[in-house]
Amino acid sequence: MSAATVQMDPAQQRLSFEQTVLPHLDAAYNLARWLTRNNQDAEDVVQEAYLRAFRFFDGFRGGDGRAWLLAVVRNTCFSWLRERGRKETIEFDEHVHGETAAEPTPEITLLRKATLGAITDCMNGLPLEYREAFVLREQEDMSYKEISEIAGVPIGTVMSRLSRARKRLQSCLQLKGGFSQ
Amino acid sequence: MTCESAQELIDMASPSTPELAEHLESCPDCRKMQEEIMVLRNIVHEQAPYHRAPASLKRRILAQTRGPRPVPWNWLALAASVLLVASIAGNVALLRSRVSPKQLLAANLISAHVRSLAGTHLIDVPSSDRHTVKPWFNGKLDFSPDVKDLASDGFPLAGGRLEYFEGHPAAALVFERRKHVINLFTWPSPAAEQRTEASSKGYHLICWTQSAIKYCAVSDVNEAELRQFVELYQK
Repeated sequence: MSAATVQMDPAQQRLSFEQTVLPHLDAAYNLARWLTRNNQDAEDVVQEAYLRAFRFFDGFRGGDGRAWLLAVVRNTCFSWLRERGRKETIEFDEHVHGETAAEPTPEITLLRKATLGAITDCMNGLPLEYREAFVLREQEDMSYKEISEIAGVPIGTVMSRLSRARKRLQSCLQLKGGFSQ
Repeated sequence: MTCESAQELIDMASPSTPELAEHLESCPDCRKMQEEIMVLRNIVHEQAPYHRAPASLKRRILAQTRGPRPVPWNWLALAASVLLVASIAGNVALLRSRVSPKQLLAANLISAHVRSLAGTHLIDVPSSDRHTVKPWFNGKLDFSPDVKDLASDGFPLAGGRLEYFEGHPAAALVFERRKHVINLFTWPSPAAEQRTEASSKGYHLICWTQSAIKYCAVSDVNEAELRQFVELYQK
């Protein structure tokens, strides 16, 4: 039996692909760059992700092109990192992430004094899944629901990842801010 | 209202509702969280880089999707073209001081490895005898490469050819590992450098310097085997 569905001709399909996902190239690159922490890897991953997206574009049924693309980018990143055996070590440093001292610290003041560049280091130090949720929330302004669909985890997990990411960032920034004085 | 729904409203920077205001009034934890989220958000917005895609990447992607519909790949040709494009992109990027010379060299070495396999020019002097391969380079290079045969360790020498890296004629020594090929590129380099490793698209690269000669081994064998090869070679 021949395919009953109406096929778009290739030129039309390419145009539709370009209009749907190409405008989100920066978002794709930003996510890949934060996940791989490396320019060259990010470029390779994004290129591969676009190739995958192009191949599977038949499966895109309209809706938010950015969320659809970012899910492809994210999956490409994760399998890329897995294939290369880059085990994400959860960079756990007692001084940075350990329990905060019982004595209440003027956290907010210290946060404001965080040195320039500290936020990048601290974000790069986050575990992969926390970093992913945080970048999607804070830089792509995505809702819990959108993040949960991209990462393929329940909303509750997204919330706890974000909350843990923030706690870690806060401790990390406090430490760096403290050192800068 | 639960703390969870309060968190979502705060996090999404939704307009305040009487319920939220009431909850915050009675919940010091959520008040603290609200302040933390906002302070952190300001720092991220002001200081965390948003990485924009380089223009070269957009061109690469368009070249890919506007080319023939990619279904039956010749994977080696694909790898070669991707690496070649990456290498060209790398050159363009270098002009903008975005890619370090080291990264560029790594891309060039991997491209050279892939080219040697994709084309017909893998070996200029086919021989498993190092006493044939080493003298062949006489007069072609301004140094004498250290040629070893590691056949007894499962890395038989297959031959050599000429290459060119970092402004120097270079020797490419070709070794076999089962069905895989290892290219060992070598040329003089005054800078004593630490051993470095890199991987891209399934290829692995290990470089080191010994007695002012730089060595870079490139292959698709797994990293452990390539390390073993390098360690044997360094002995």
